[in-house]
Amino acid sequence: MASILFYILAFVLLAATLLCVTCRNPVHAVIYLVKGFFALALMFYLLGAPLIAAWEVIVYVGAIMVLFLFIIMVLELAPREQPQGPGWKRWVPGLMLAAAVIFCSLLIIFQDPSAASGNPAHFVGPRAFGEALFGRFGLAVEVVSFQLLFAAVGAYYLGRYQPREQDKEETS
Amino acid sequence: MENLVQTALNNVNMWAIMPSIILVCFAMGLLLINAFLPRGATKPAMWISLIGLAVTAFSVISGWGSPQYGFSDAVALDNFATFFNVTFLIAAAMTILMSDDYIRREGYPIGEYYPLILFTTAGAMWMASGTDMMTIFLGLEVMSISLYVLAGFFRGDVRSNEAGLKYFLLGAFSTGFLLYGIALIYGVTGSTRLSEIGVFLNAHPSLLSNPMTLAGIMLLSIGFLFKIAAAPFHMWTPDVYEGAPTPITAFMSAGPKAAAFAAFLRIMEYCFFSLKPEWTAVLWALAVLTMIIGNVIAISQTNVKRMLAYSSIAHAGYALVGMVAANEIGYSAILFYMLAYTFMNIGAFAILVLAGKKGEENLTLEGLSGFGYKRPLLGVAFTICLFSLMGIPPTAGFAGKFYIFAGAVKAGYIWLAIIGVLNSAVSLYYYLRVMVYMYFREAEEDYSWVKVPVSVVVSIVIALVGIFYLGIIPGAVMDLARLAIF
Repeated sequence: MASILFYILAFVLLAATLLCVTCRNPVHAVIYLVKGFFALALMFYLLGAPLIAAWEVIVYVGAIMVLFLFIIMVLELAPREQPQGPGWKRWVPGLMLAAAVIFCSLLIIFQDPSAASGNPAHFVGPRAFGEALFGRFGLAVEVVSFQLLFAAVGAYYLGRYQPREQDKEETS
Repeated sequence: MENLVQTALNNVNMWAIMPSIILVCFAMGLLLINAFLPRGATKPAMWISLIGLAVTAFSVISGWGSPQYGFSDAVALDNFATFFNVTFLIAAAMTILMSDDYIRREGYPIGEYYPLILFTTAGAMWMASGTDMMTIFLGLEVMSISLYVLAGFFRGDVRSNEAGLKYFLLGAFSTGFLLYGIALIYGVTGSTRLSEIGVFLNAHPSLLSNPMTLAGIMLLSIGFLFKIAAAPFHMWTPDVYEGAPTPITAFMSAGPKAAAFAAFLRIMEYCFFSLKPEWTAVLWALAVLTMIIGNVIAISQTNVKRMLAYSSIAHAGYALVGMVAANEIGYSAILFYMLAYTFMNIGAFAILVLAGKKGEENLTLEGLSGFGYKRPLLGVAFTICLFSLMGIPPTAGFAGKFYIFAGAVKAGYIWLAIIGVLNSAVSLYYYLRVMVYMYFREAEEDYSWVKVPVSVVVSIVIALVGIFYLGIIPGAVMDLARLAIF
């Protein structure tokens, strides 16, 4: 059953991301992205990484989506006018994908594929995850933290308001 | 719990990443100091970053011969990494030396410039010393992200903006390829450690023809070939090189290119040695294509910076020849060539910085008319750098090309060596044309050349010393390069 679930979720993920990048309305795109993240979280669960699945939901579906929506609202990217054409074209794909994700989640909750044979082959708990993260991939964590700092420095520089042309005129 | 912390700490071994730690500490300190400096004061930042590079160089060089492995084998500061680290440090130092006057002249005396160069260098060092896909990938990201910002550093300049954005978009795209390749290889072998991947693939020969393995190797190679600027992944190079600030172009063509070669070489040699006949065959075609495209398109360029960008593509092709040879001489020749290329290319760009007129850059061939008479010493230095790029003895470029093609001949790739030499002959045309403009054309009358600051002269002198040292006694460095390969 796990493999059938995997294929359903993979289809949902691909369809959702495809709709996300082709969708003209940014708010709709974010909704599709969230559905993709949900499908991805369930896939992580099926692979035996419940911790990652939980984080996927908390961080991406929860935090990142809010950030996206916030930015869309701040920048006023959402279209003002109602697009032409029949209404069902806009909400039916989203509804179908959501239904598929909900169906898979319920299936996993009530008939856990990993419960049938005990844990999956590679069940990773928080402890093993932490060990791998700070032991085997310790350097990667360090470098990522440096990288975020550097990226912040660069973004700060490029985004900083600095009236360069006026400066030049004043000095010359 | 105690136990876990103990085992984790035992595996760390800070010595293995000491040089990059020192460099990053200096860079972060510099960011702090910048906050307290008056606006536009970049001289102290330049000196501090040079001191940082010197301390790092000491740390790197003192590690020669005693390889350090850290973070349970995620990083290895072996001779290979040390050799490349020295190359990056020289590139960074020369870039910083020629930058100060330039960024002031162009109206961007901003303190973030130097820390970003140090960050880029640290990323390059992680790439060269990484023995884990994650380390190499993250090193590449650190390096690239700092470079994206540096390429677009002149925020008010449309060309620089274009360079930064183009490099960012295409770079992010190619990074996606690289990451996809790493993921597929991880899926096949279940590890991101280079040595474990190699052992696993060697123990399971059936996996070698598995489409997933092959697709993984292909995508991985695309990621690196993009950074190397090998054809057909070179499209970004001319625009980015032309638009970026000239010192950054110089740095980009030497440091990051060498870093990508280091990581590419290490991955191919550690992980996919079982597939060597296959990937050398692919690289054979790419090397030929890269040399031809780089050299032929360079002929039609009228902007010297753009011409040097295409020549940098061609030089990536020459270095790829060493990788196709895949023997001791070929590999050590890549190390040698990258060092030689650092000297000659950054030297050429340093002179290009000084060729600018007051208030505007001067990069066209026409603009260089009479440069050899107005600035005789700089003209001679430029000529020497260009001779080295052509591969004329007794310069570093000749020694590098000699070793590269010797490796190819020894591995039995006679035709590849012949194509390489013919390409060098083609390159004579566009390098010599610069000299024709410099010496055989009259200069404009009211031509206000920029004054020559000492720091740029130091950079040029370093370049010339390097070119002649590597050209006249190449054996000394070549022996070190031999000790540095696996």
